[in-house]
Order: sequence, then C-alpha cells, then structure tokens
Amino acid sequence: MTTTVARKSAAPALGLLPLGLLLLVFFIWPVVTLLGLSFGQDGFTLEHYRHLVDVPVYRAVLVNTFTISAMVTALCVLLSYPLAYLMATVSPRVLRLLLLAVVLPFWTSALVRTTAWIVILQRNGVLNEILVGSSLLSQPLPFVYNLSGVLIGMTHVLMPFVVLPLFAAFRSVDRSVVQAAESLGAGPVRIFFKILLPLTAPGVLAGATIVFMNSIGYYITPSLMGGPGQTMIAQMIDFNISKQLNWGLASALAVVLLVSTLIVFFLFQKVFGLDRLMAPGGSGRAGESFAGKAKQRSMGGRATVVAGILVAVFLILPILFVFPMSLGASPFLRFPPEEYSLTWYRNFFSNAKWLTALLNSLKVAAIAVTLSIAFGTAAAIALNRVDSRFRKAIETYFLLPMIIPTIIVGVGLFYFLAPFGLIGGALGLGLGHAVLASPYVFLTVRAAVQGFDTNLEQAAVGLGASWPMMFRRVMLPAIAPGIAAGAVFAFITSFDDVVLAIFLTNVRSRTLPKLMYEGVAHEIDPTIIAASGLIILLTVFTLGLNMILTRRSQ
Amino acid sequence: MTFSSLGKPVGISGIVKTYGALRALDDVTLNVGAGEFCSLLGASGSGKTTLLKVIAGFEPVDAGHLKVGERDIGKVPVSKRNIGMVFQNYALFPHMSVFDNVAFGLETRQTPRSELRERVGEALAMVGLTGYEERLPKQLSGGQQQRVALARALVIRPDILLMDEPLGALDKNLKQSIQLQLKALHRQVGITVIYVTHDQEEALNLSDRIVVMDAGRVIQTGTPQDLYFKPTNRFVAGFLGDCNFFSREDGSSHAVRPEHLKVGSLAQDCENRLQATVTDVIFIGTGLRLVMSIGDETVMAIADMRQQSEIPSAGSKISIGYRTEDTLPLASAQ
Repeated sequence: MTTTVARKSAAPALGLLPLGLLLLVFFIWPVVTLLGLSFGQDGFTLEHYRHLVDVPVYRAVLVNTFTISAMVTALCVLLSYPLAYLMATVSPRVLRLLLLAVVLPFWTSALVRTTAWIVILQRNGVLNEILVGSSLLSQPLPFVYNLSGVLIGMTHVLMPFVVLPLFAAFRSVDRSVVQAAESLGAGPVRIFFKILLPLTAPGVLAGATIVFMNSIGYYITPSLMGGPGQTMIAQMIDFNISKQLNWGLASALAVVLLVSTLIVFFLFQKVFGLDRLMAPGGSGRAGESFAGKAKQRSMGGRATVVAGILVAVFLILPILFVFPMSLGASPFLRFPPEEYSLTWYRNFFSNAKWLTALLNSLKVAAIAVTLSIAFGTAAAIALNRVDSRFRKAIETYFLLPMIIPTIIVGVGLFYFLAPFGLIGGALGLGLGHAVLASPYVFLTVRAAVQGFDTNLEQAAVGLGASWPMMFRRVMLPAIAPGIAAGAVFAFITSFDDVVLAIFLTNVRSRTLPKLMYEGVAHEIDPTIIAASGLIILLTVFTLGLNMILTRRSQ
Repeated sequence: MTFSSLGKPVGISGIVKTYGALRALDDVTLNVGAGEFCSLLGASGSGKTTLLKVIAGFEPVDAGHLKVGERDIGKVPVSKRNIGMVFQNYALFPHMSVFDNVAFGLETRQTPRSELRERVGEALAMVGLTGYEERLPKQLSGGQQQRVALARALVIRPDILLMDEPLGALDKNLKQSIQLQLKALHRQVGITVIYVTHDQEEALNLSDRIVVMDAGRVIQTGTPQDLYFKPTNRFVAGFLGDCNFFSREDGSSHAVRPEHLKVGSLAQDCENRLQATVTDVIFIGTGLRLVMSIGDETVMAIADMRQQSEIPSAGSKISIGYRTEDTLPLASAQ
C-alpha cells in the first residue's frame, strides 16, 4: 500500500498523536478511573459487587436489562425481514422511498423520535384518541410508561441497524439460486427457510449484535417511555450518582455493563471481523440480484409485502406526526391540528430559555466538529504511514468510543472534569462530544484516504512539491468529500446527544436536547414539538447538503 | 439403468413474449422429440435464453402453448413442472454440501430417506463425484460444480433437462472434455435436452438438432448436417462456419464454404472461375487460410498445403474457382 518513498518524504506518524491523546485523556483515563471506583476509593473491596448480587432490586435491573435487550433484538430482526425483503424486490424508485423511510428516522435524534412516540402513544395521545374515537376501544389503553412503550421506542430507534445489513444480504442473493430451488420443486415456504434464511443469516446476526450491544447500555428511551418495572442498568447508574451519590455502586454497575458489552463485541469480532461493524453488507457476490416480480408473488409473498409496508410506515410515522402537530395553534397536542399556525415556533424563538439552549448546542457542536475533524483527519492520513502490523490495533483504539456505552463515558467524564471546573461550560461537553464523534470522522476520512491513489502523491512530490503543498493541492481536494461526510456525522452526533449533556451541563449551559429531555420527562408542551420539528428540519438540511456535496464531487 | 428413457417430447407453439415494445419471442413454434438433444443457437438478444426461461416457467408468456409429453404446462407453476435446469453460473446453494444440494429436489418430493440416499449416491457416481458429498460448492473447481449442478438436475428424474450455456464459464480444454462427457451421459440417460448456447462449434458437437434463432424468431431447424450443408439463408450459412457469398446475374445467390474454394492450378477443373487478389496468407496448422479480395468483397479459402503446388504471396493475383456441386443455394438474400 504505502511505499517507502512516501514514508521517507512525508511527515511521520505524528498525525496519530492528537487523536490518540484526546482519547487517552478524555476517554480512556476517565473510564478506567470510574471502573477503579467500583473496587473502593480507599482500599480494595468487593462490597459493591456483593451489593449488586445481594439486593433484589439490582438483580431485577440486571435481569430486566438483558431481557428487554433480547426482546428488542428479536423484534428488530422479526420486523426487519419483511421490510428488507420488500426493499430487495421493488423497483429503484420505490426503493428510494423505502430507504428514505429507514434512513431519515435513523439520522433523526433519538430524543425527537422518543418524544413523538410518547405523544402518539400516551393515555390521551393520538393513537388512543383514534381508537376510542372510532369506538374500537371503550377505554384508552396504556401503551407507554410500561414494557410496550420501551419495546416500541427502542425497536424504532435501533431497527435500522438490522434493516440495512439485511437488505444488503437479500440483494446479494443470486436470483438463479432461488430459481434453481423453485425448479427443484420448492415452494415459497421452503425457499424462505432453506435458502433465504440461511443465506441472509450472517447479515442479520451482524445487525442483531449491534442492536443488542446498544440496547444494554440504552438510557434515554427506557427512562422516558418505560415505567419503574423497566428500569435498566444505565438508569440505575444515573440514579446512584445523581440521587444516591453512591459512586462505588454506580461504577460497579458500569463495570457489569462494560464487560457485557465487550463480551458481545469480541464475540462479534471473532465471528464477523471488525469490518462488518463499519460496513455491514452482503457477500458482495456479483450476478443478477434476487428480485421477485410483483405479479409473480405468492400468497406468502404478498402478505410479506403488506407486512413490509406496515414496518416502513412504523419507521417513518413519528416524523410524519411531529411536523403537522408542531404547526398546531392550540396548547393541546392534537393530530391533525384543528387550526394551523406558527405559534409554537414563534414561542420557541421569543423565549430566552430555548434560544440560549439552541445557542449552547451550536457552540458545543462547533467545538466538537472542529476538534474531531482536525484530529480524526490527521489520524486517518497518518495511519497509512504506520507499519501495517500495528494498524489493526490502532484502528480498534480509535473506534473504541463507538463501542463503550455513552452513559459510562458521561459518568466518567463527570467524575474526571469536575475538579478542573470544566462542568457547566461548553468546553467540557465539546471535548466529550469530540470523543464520541471522532470515530465517525476517522472512518469516513480513512475510507477516502484508502481510495486516494498514492501514485498521485508520489507524482506531486516527484514534480518538486513539498509535502504540505502536495497535501493542499492534491490530497485535500481528493479526500474533501470524506471529510465533509465526517463533519456531518460529527455535527449530528453532537447536536443529538442527551446523555453527556445530562452530566456535563447545568441550568445555564444546558443544550437544546437536554432542555427538551427535561421537558419530556416532566410534561410535553407544544414548544418541545416545535423544537423537534426544527431538529428534523436541520437534520434533513444537513443530510441534503452532504448528498449535494458528495454528488458534485463525483 | 435407473435414468434411462426419461425423455418426453416437448411441443412449443405460437409463443409470444414481449417486454414493452420489444418482442423477445415472436410466434415461436418448435417440436422437440423424446430423448433428443436440441440446441437453441443464436447471438445474445436472439431470444434463446428467454425461450428457455419460458419453458422453465420463470417468465410468463403473452400467448402460445407449452406441452411436455401429453401435459399442458402453460399454467403450471415452476415448482410443479418437473423440469431439471442447469444454470449458467450453476446456482449451487452456497450454504449446502454437495450431498444436500443434490438431495434438495428429492426432499421437496418427500422421498424416503433411504431411497434418497441411494439416488443421490447414484447421481453423484454418474457424474464421477463419489466421495465429494461433504464438500461445499466453493471447495470445488468450476468443472466439478458444473457436474454437481447436472447431478442435482437429473436426480429428480425430470421430464426434460434445460441447460443455459452451462459451459460458458469454463476454459477451452475443459469445455471440450465436458462436451464429450455430456454427450456420453445423454446417450446413457436418454433424456430430452434443450440446450442454450451462442457457440456454434459447441452446438455442432453436441446436438441431434439445432434451432437457429434471431430477433425472437426461429430462423431454421435441422440436424447439424442440414444446417451446415443446406442453410436456407445467408444468416444461417454465416452463423454456422465461415462462408463466401456469390450472387448471379439473375439476383439469386449462393454460398461456398472456404474448404471448397480452390486456388491457383486447382481452380482450373472448376466450372466457376474468378480472379482475386491475395491480401493475407495465414498458417493455421491443418492448412493455409487465404484471405483474398474481389473488388470490395472479401473471400476466404482453406488450402491443403500438400496439394497446393505453389504457395501464393500477399499482393499477388490469383485465380480461384468452385464446383457447382459444392455450392449452397440460398433461399433469400437476407
């Protein structure tokens, strides 16, 4: 890959240092310190762990966490199959529509989606109103603040992680393999269980692992949509720190969470390799893709299509609801609103509380995007200059923030930054967000660098350009789209974060998502819905900008 | 023999298949006898693969009838047609062993386990793959995969066997040896085969009957000898082997194969004589290929070096000739 010429003529692997140090100081050190607390602050003790095992509440929380995660994972897989099948068998135009239904919610803040679900599902919410109004129900059903709420919310947030790799797996199934099975006498059911299921299983398992890993550390959705019976580890960690000030117990819980996550992660890596996590996809086999024609669908096929459409509607539903509702005039949330107005948007922009929060969010995002772009890009370029033997390990190190549950990073940073007085300012949270966002920048820029022809670098240097000049005139223009995509990911990561903001900001420095979170936990007023509408608009705008930039560069 | 006399006749009549404005199959009628090896020969886009897919049931038709034996299969779904198919890329199930691949069609037919094991064993023995039962497709060579696909298609005792350019992915030497095996196997099993290919040599080697197709139509049907020596038109004559075309004053035209075009002193015995200019002389092992021009037309001759007294050089004028009995009269100047 890299030639000796390039290695000698260019700056050495110094580019790895900024990101390496950022992660070491603001990620590894805080997390390790936090974990150390679980064994006692003065002198070694296992008392906290014993407490976890002995106290029934904690046992229940652990059981809860794994049960809910398993259920969410199963639901994600079950619902993904009809949708992915549908996506793999429709015309390109319909596919674009379905992809929108998957990708748009995927990139929309989880908090916004959770808020929308609460509005739809709560006792006097949209769904109950429709059901009771049409006299399908005599009394409103409790859909939220219980197990069904947690399952609906978490499945909605995490499902794209299964749908996308499964769709890729379906696409890579060779059509003639299915035809061969048909010609040998297999009906639709046998084809599904004997051919499609085994051939798509690796893609599903990859997605399911990611879902499970994310589920066990999930905080926002269960705390907003669940009841006391659905308390999960992350909530218990927060509870022990904010309410009980019991750091030892909180960190013991963090250790349990971290170890479980890492076990799942290493099993995953063993079976699929790390690459699968970053670029989920099929076996990449060429040939005509499997695609049934609509007119030839069997009964089961048609039923699957209907199920797939329902799942797509489920995914896009919250976004479809939020907008019209944010345009309502009355202080009560209704769908569809009886009267349209911009009242709540006006309210948002005239209220100092909301404006300050928005400004804080943008300030924090600016710090996070600048740092993660600068450090992530330098690291991605420098990695090619490192001996290939060490690359894998360095890469894993840089990607760790994607794997460690955010709650652990948040609590660790809180403990680490408090003595320096960095809690409550934009800088502390900005640094935390830079840690969370840097893996995305690193990945996108690294992909761009690997696509960059090293001959161009050598040609420029051979023509007498210094390395900085070569970088500015030749390399930077080539990898700019990768950097831009990284910036988009970094911005969205920072702008959507609630968990770090909960621990690292106060009343004056709180960000928009944190303010929304506080509101949702208390009572949802229409300004929150207007804020959700704004966030969706901003997400669509950012993604659109990224799409235009990448398309122009091609 | 377990596999013998499987063959059933196939009756195809008036098949029309359109994709939008394109007539992929334009009123195709064809009868294939029981146990016959019939090749559909044509360039890409001629409709040969579409016809095969129609017979298999993967493509619905706009009009026409399909019969296998006495049974009308026009409305029968693919899985109930009892047709064996060998795909161009073999389409082996990548997650199943060789045994499971071959057993698949028997499992769908609920064949008892002991009979299943026996028949899979027989089928694998027939294609020379005994001992490969536990391998996965990716652990086999291209030729072996091809044989697994064949065993998988034959083990269900299909009424007919469809093959879609099954040798396309193999190299030339392997291709020829598999052609021989395929021919022997066909003789042994006696099944009706419909075989799609664009390779005229392959069609000549294998077939009892060749169907030449172009633009969704059947151009000519016949034995290899029929097509080679009695092509009905210029398209067929040019498609099977090289051909020189000459026209008479009355507008009719005829063709002469390069091996029948005499050159130099040998041309003196022929009834038809012409003058040509040699443009190229190519040594091809079995003889010499002479490329010549008569005005704007290019003609080609294969000359036996031992009979040729003098070897002409490029640029020289030369007399050429052919016997009337060696001409192939052509119906129309298409």
